[in-house]
This record gives sequence, C-alpha cells and structure tokens, in this order.
Amino acid sequence: MLNKELHIKPEHLHVDIENILKGMGMQITDADSYLMELIDNSISTGLQLVQPKACFAIFENPQFDLTKKTITIEGKIFKTGAVVCSMLKRSEAIALFIATAGPQIENLSKKEMAAGNGLEGLIFDLVGSELAENLSELLHLRIAELVNTKGQNVSNRFSPGYCNWPVTEQLMLFELLSNMQCGVSLSPSSLMTPVKSVSGIIGIGKNLRRASYKCNICNDKHCIMRRQNS
Amino acid sequence: MDSAELLKKLSECVEMGKVNKDAPFPPAMKGMDGADELTRQALEMGIKPIEILNDALIAAMEKVGEKFSQKKIFVPQMLISAKAMNASMEHLKPFFQSGEVKRKGKFIIGTVAGDLHDIGKNLVAMIVEGAGWEVIDLGVDVKTPKFLQAIAEHPEAIVGLSALLTTTMQSMKNTVNEIHAQYPNIKLIVGGAPVTDAFSKEIGANAYAHDPQSAVSYLNAQVA
Ligand code: B12
Repeated sequence: MLNKELHIKPEHLHVDIENILKGMGMQITDADSYLMELIDNSISTGLQLVQPKACFAIFENPQFDLTKKTITIEGKIFKTGAVVCSMLKRSEAIALFIATAGPQIENLSKKEMAAGNGLEGLIFDLVGSELAENLSELLHLRIAELVNTKGQNVSNRFSPGYCNWPVTEQLMLFELLSNMQCGVSLSPSSLMTPVKSVSGIIGIGKNLRRASYKCNICNDKHCIMRRQNS
Repeated sequence: MDSAELLKKLSECVEMGKVNKDAPFPPAMKGMDGADELTRQALEMGIKPIEILNDALIAAMEKVGEKFSQKKIFVPQMLISAKAMNASMEHLKPFFQSGEVKRKGKFIIGTVAGDLHDIGKNLVAMIVEGAGWEVIDLGVDVKTPKFLQAIAEHPEAIVGLSALLTTTMQSMKNTVNEIHAQYPNIKLIVGGAPVTDAFSKEIGANAYAHDPQSAVSYLNAQVA
C-alpha cells in the first residue's frame, strides 16, 4: 500500500467565478460590476484563508462483486451500488482519498451570516465549496500523473453519497485511511468536519479512463446530475 | 417630504437594496439615505409602524419576489433587499416586542439528519425572513427530536426540511412521518436539489418548493 499526503499550496488552487455565479442561479451575463468585484474579493480572501490538505492511499487487488454490487478493499466490503462498482470493475488498484479546504472559510461565512451579511456569507460558502472540489480535482490529477508513469490510468472519482452509495460507508473509508485523515473527522451520522471536505474513491488500471458523468447507467431517479445532464 | 413620499422612498430603498447612507450599493444611490435612516425618520414623523411594515417593507419585498420570479433579478439582489429590510426592521423591533405589529408567521427550517449541505437552506431562510417571517434555523444534520422540540416551542410554525443527498431523502421521509404522527396539523414544506414534487407527495409532505420564492408564495398563502 502506498499512502501519501500531498503538499498543495493555496496558489495551486483556482476558483472559477462562473461556478460561484451558478451556485446563485446566475450566468456571467447576469452579473453587474458590483457583484463581480465582491466575488473577486471573496475569492482572494478565500485563497488567503484556505488550508488545503489532501491525503490518499492506494490499495492493490480490490475485489469486485457485480451481483452484490460491492467492492472489497483490505477485507472491508463497500456496498457502493451498481454504478460505482461497474465503473471501477476493471481497476487493478484503488485510491481512497480525503481532501479538505480547512475550517477558516466556513467560519468566516458563518460570521458574515450571523452579522446579517447574507450575500457575503453565501459567497464565502460557495467559494469554500469550490475550493474543496478544486482540491479533489488536483488530487485526482496528481494520482493520474503518478500512475501514468506505470502505464496505468484513472477512473472518474466517486464519493460516498454519490449514485446510491450510502454516505455512512465513509466510516470504513476513514478506517482504511486511519493515519491519513488530514485532520478531518466524522460525526456519528458520518459527516465530515470541516464541512468543506470531500472523500472518495478512484480506480486505477490499464483499461480505465475518465468519462463524462453518465446518467444512463444509473437508476437513481432522484439524482440531480440526471436533471442537470438532461 | 410628506409621509406618503417618505414611505415610497423607503420602499424604493428596500427594493433596490439601499441599506444605509454609507452602503456602497447600489452605486446609483451613493450618499443617499437608506432604509436605516428613512425608517428612523418615518417613526420620528409619527408614521405608524404597521404602515411602515405593510406599505413600505412588505410591498417592496413583494416586488422583489415578483422580479425574481420573472428572472429580472437574481439571488444576490434578493439578499441585498432582505438586508435593507432587516435594517429597517431593527427600528421596528420594540413594536414587535410590544405586540403592536406582528410578523406574518414563524418558519422553522433545517437540513435533515445525515446531511450537512446548507447553502440552499440558508438561502431559503434569508429570503423567507426578508419576506416578513420570523425564521428559526435549526442548522444542519437535524434529527427529528430537534424538530419536534422546536415545534413544541412554536406550535403555530410552518416547518421546512432540506435534503441534498439522495441517501438523506430517507431521513426526510422519516422526519415528515414522525412530525405528522405527533402533530398532524403542522404544515411541512420540503426542498433541496434531489427533492421533487412527486417525492414530496409520496412522503406526505404538505408542499414542495424548488426555490426560495416559491416557498415564500406557499407560506404567504397559508396566512392570507
Ligand atoms: C456545494 C456542494 C458541496 C459542498 C458543501 C457546502 C455546504 N455547506 O452545503 C462540499 C464541497 C463541502 C460538499 C461535500 C459533499 N457532498 Co456535495 N455538493 C455540493 C453541490 C456542488 C452544490 C449544492 C449547492 O449548494 N447548490 C446551491 C444551492 C443554492 O442549491 P440547492 O441546495 O439545491 O438549494 C436550492 C433549492 O434546492 C431549494 N431548497 C433547498 N433546500 C430547501 C428547503 C426548503 C424547505 C425549500 C422550500 C427549498 C429548498 O432552494 C435553494 C435555492 O434555490 C452539489 C451538486 C449540485 N450541483 O447540486 C453536491 C452534492 C449535493 N454533494 C454530494 C455529496 C455526495 C457530497 C459528500 C457526501 C461527498 C463526500 N463523501 O465527500 C460531501 C459531504 C461533505 C461532508 N462534510 O460530509 C452529492 C449528492 C449525491 C446525491 N444525489 O445524493 C452531490 C449532488 C454531488 C454529486 N455530483 O453527486 N458538497
């Protein structure tokens, strides 16, 4: 097993202003200069406050049971559901990861909201979420680079909570990353603190590739990706 | 300025999101009095708090809501208007406390157990508050007993539940059932990206809203 904490500096991170606007139901053409400036400044503040941490471990020889829809890693059986199981079934190894943007931006967001500055609070919240997502993307790319040198590729990344994979299985994921949790802890209902954190799984293998999110393989009729993609 | 003019000005400030004199937004109203100053002046002039509330603030927020539904304005403008409204409400607080004026009603909101996505829930809370409701925000990962306790304290409230994970839609269902088992008459409105109108009916919620403005319309219809 290979495990690693990545050293990602805030300046490696990037927040797309369009995604912040999207979180408020807007496109770039809907925004005036006052709002653009506010978002710009909030992104700069976010990049000053972010404490990026990302950890992963690679486990060899995962076992897939397509009828039971499970993936077994180091004897732990993950009930990932059909989608994640079939998307990863060609993996020769599995990377599990935890990434966090730290608690600072979230705290600032709460502070702004408590002071009655709803818009500022909302923007910081969206910036924090984007940073957590961006950090997982960077981690994904680093893992890809690492395995590419051995002629392997990576799959898409999935998180407990995606595609009917119960979020409570985050507990097992954390157990497998026992001394590599980046300061992230789990609540009794399996939620991560700091909130701006993402955990997940990435398949590694010669016959894998990252694909655009496919909805036709999944039967989760409530999933919002379905609505966004349709 | 007579009282009608003053109320009209105040209403404009809330509609445009002019909080106070120092506020930089909107640039076109730079240096002018905002909701804060104008409410003080209105009270000094002897205008009744209830008139300030109904004729200026609520009237303005209704326009804001309408413009939002027509996609003429977006979430940020709504939040700035809500902030201007709250600046004005600060001055009206003593009259709420004495019972001379009343809010439209109480709204309890929380993200259901097992979920801590709260951006959407916070947005709904802020906009419902801006529309003249008292909001009791229970936060995230809220288990049923916490909802039940809040309902016991505010039995006249309407309750909003938010869920963002398909896996926590089950918690939403449980919470709806448990609340209705104990309080069959409590109105429950549900929302969150994966939640649909069909799902809300399936689990026996009283309403579904896909955005804050539809939630406000539903709430207002309950007290109309
Ligand atoms: C931002 C975000 C996060 C942020 C959280 C920020 C926060 N404080 O909430 C971060 C990056 C930290 C995060 C993490 C996770 N997330 Co997340 N996240 C999102 C994302 C990208 C956007 C959600 C959002 O805020 N939208 C903007 C708001 C304004 O919209 P909204 O919430 O829908 O709310 C509107 C309406 O629905 C409605 N509404 C909402 N609530 C209510 C309530 C009432 C009463 C009413 C009337 C209306 C209403 O009004 C709102 C305004 O219009 C979604 C994907 C997506 N595009 O939606 C995934 C998503 C929700 N996350 C998901 C998951 C699984 C997770 C994790 C569990 C993954 C993991 N294991 O790491 C973690 C959990 C984190 C933890 N700490 O435990 C999945 C859920 C899958 C599913 N269908 O079940 C999604 C869909 C992503 C995906 N690709 O699958 N997440």
